[in-house]
Amino acid sequence: MTAAAELLRTMQRIRAFEEALAQRADRGFQLFSLGQEAVAVGVCAALGPDDQLLTSGRSIAAALARGVDPVAVMAELLGKQTGTNRGRGGRGHLAQPSRGFFGAHAVVAGNLTIAAGVALALSMRGRGIAACMFGDGACGAGALHETMNVAAVWRLPLLLVCDNNGYSISTPQAAALAPQPLAALAEPFRMPARSVDGMDVEAVRDAAVALVAHVRGGGGPAFLECRSARYATHSTSTRETRPDSERAADRARDPIRAQQQRCEARGEADAARCAAWDAEARAAAAAALRAADAAPYPLAASVLEDVR
Amino acid sequence: MLYQLAVPTPIEDVEELRVLEWHVAPGHAFAPGDLVVELETHKAVVEVRAARAGIVRSILAPVGDWQRLGRPLAVVSDTVDEPLPDAADTLAVMHVDFEVT
Amino acid sequence: MSAAAPAPRVFFREAIGRALAEAMGSDPTLVLFGQDIGRFGGAYREFTGLFERFGAQRVRDTPVAEAAMIGIGVGAAAAGLRALVSITYMDFLMLGLDPLVNYAAKACYKTGGQVRVPLVVKATAGARGQGVAHSQCIEAWLMSVPGLTVVAPATVADAYGLLKSALRHDGPVVFVDHKRLYPTAGELPTDAAEVPFGQARVCRRGDAVTLVAHAYMVRVALAAADELAREGIACDVVDLRSLAPLDVATLAASVARTGALVTVEEGQATCGVGAEVAARVREARGGEPFRVARVAALPAPVSSNPILEAACLPDAARVTTAVRTLLS
Repeated sequence: MTAAAELLRTMQRIRAFEEALAQRADRGFQLFSLGQEAVAVGVCAALGPDDQLLTSGRSIAAALARGVDPVAVMAELLGKQTGTNRGRGGRGHLAQPSRGFFGAHAVVAGNLTIAAGVALALSMRGRGIAACMFGDGACGAGALHETMNVAAVWRLPLLLVCDNNGYSISTPQAAALAPQPLAALAEPFRMPARSVDGMDVEAVRDAAVALVAHVRGGGGPAFLECRSARYATHSTSTRETRPDSERAADRARDPIRAQQQRCEARGEADAARCAAWDAEARAAAAAALRAADAAPYPLAASVLEDVR
Repeated sequence: MLYQLAVPTPIEDVEELRVLEWHVAPGHAFAPGDLVVELETHKAVVEVRAARAGIVRSILAPVGDWQRLGRPLAVVSDTVDEPLPDAADTLAVMHVDFEVT
Repeated sequence: MSAAAPAPRVFFREAIGRALAEAMGSDPTLVLFGQDIGRFGGAYREFTGLFERFGAQRVRDTPVAEAAMIGIGVGAAAAGLRALVSITYMDFLMLGLDPLVNYAAKACYKTGGQVRVPLVVKATAGARGQGVAHSQCIEAWLMSVPGLTVVAPATVADAYGLLKSALRHDGPVVFVDHKRLYPTAGELPTDAAEVPFGQARVCRRGDAVTLVAHAYMVRVALAAADELAREGIACDVVDLRSLAPLDVATLAASVARTGALVTVEEGQATCGVGAEVAARVREARGGEPFRVARVAALPAPVSSNPILEAACLPDAARVTTAVRTLLS
């Protein structure tokens, strides 16, 4: 299988996984990455096994793209004892550091300084880099400034990835953030930055590969802005505020369809093959749901465990 | 005449301090302005300088010893042959200049 | 058995410096973060010599950015190092509460035990003429955070012993070093004993009233106890040392003997350390009656004006008045 086809299949798995969960009445409070799959998948294609990925609370795509077991992710999202976090973290805090997924943290911008610390630990142990995904909403927070400053001064091996879907819940970017493009935030810290089409998984991957090489080579931090679009509302409990015309235009930029067309045009996979992969992805999502459903919830009596 | 060389006072924020270094040995003379002893506070060094001439007769607080503000560090005298007293804290306090750095 | 060497007398900062140096020497993963802790040696000289001995990689001067300092310490600790972050004024801890409270204190729980955060935040508290935003004691805020350990030494020996324990603990610890303790000196036991968390210290025995304090206020409570002793009122003085966890057993045992409890703290009375101590002793004592009073800062900001600062903060006179009123 070609690298382009692998990217396609990972995005298909994420899409199928989230859509399967979205259809569940008992899915709980979730933040989906529907439409934004290419960002996590493209970034993870540039990371190696010694690296660590941190994300915001929009975490499902990142966890799956990083290779965390979908059964354990689904179990965690449904609050089951067999989840990655024993059912204690949920969507906002998915984590499996042993798989290079240091994890999600659901405080907007709250993962940035943590990621810099992870990067420092990795650099002092002599291997691996940290990558940190965050939304454009985090770009108005002071933590980003503090993190970029220290990371630049200390030349930390840190890739900052802004998954810019254009909205902080309902607030459009123009009403909240002055810098334009957001990648320009990196300039005063003299770190390399790229702003790419976040709906094009290969563009994301290529930029990530280039920036990761800089970071891994000891050049210090780098900044990657991926201009994406989310298809669903901010969260499963948020009202839609965007006009239908805008949403339709976003849907027309579907990263999965675009990658499939690319694979077909290059002769790397035909439509039937892509459809079969999609069916596989949906079967895997259904299996993950079944496994999660069969797993036990944590005991109420365990509530004080692991508090320390 | 006999005097006591005491920890100078007041030193802001200091309760007690530690003798860091003696610059005049027992039996030796000092002149006005001479650095006699350095004391260490919790965050600074106090340089104690003689405001008059004299002779160090007996060091009561050697290097590393602790002493509280106003308490004696040494017995000094104008001449070398004055007999030493049993206790220093009844002696007049010799005037010193000091600087906290 | 050979006779033990006499315990050396050292400054408070030297007890902290020795604990840090020993921990740095025995644990190569320990990294220190703080403003001016490198060649400068720390605001109170408590880091003196560590930069020269352990180098710039492990003794890190940071920008003035408390959120990043604590966040980086938390992230580094969560990813396999051990971190100590020095916050020069506890007031500025507020700038870094998010990574401390939302991440460090919850990391072990939220990851189902996958992540531990061996982090010490050393926060220098207390008033010394520096004004409304450089004087606060907010340790009571932190006592209610599940997952956080909070300790506050009052002596040289406990500064050493509690810091050594904190630097071996596998979760986040806030170590409160009161700035009025820095001028003090004391004996540092040569056996270099760690002080376990959750063990209060009874530093004076009496049967009339229990005085409970921590950090610098232990000295105030002891001064009050001296004065009360001259009036024939014998105080049990308990130094909490550890605020979270609290040593309720020692407190309850003392109150069982005295029947009266006076708490003394430099922070605010409302939702303060004394409020928690009183409630926990009440729960532990069941229906047994005892009298309670709290002595704390007045409900005003702590001014840099020395008259207003002194008026705001507890002193021995306020403690003795509270005791006499309670017992009368």
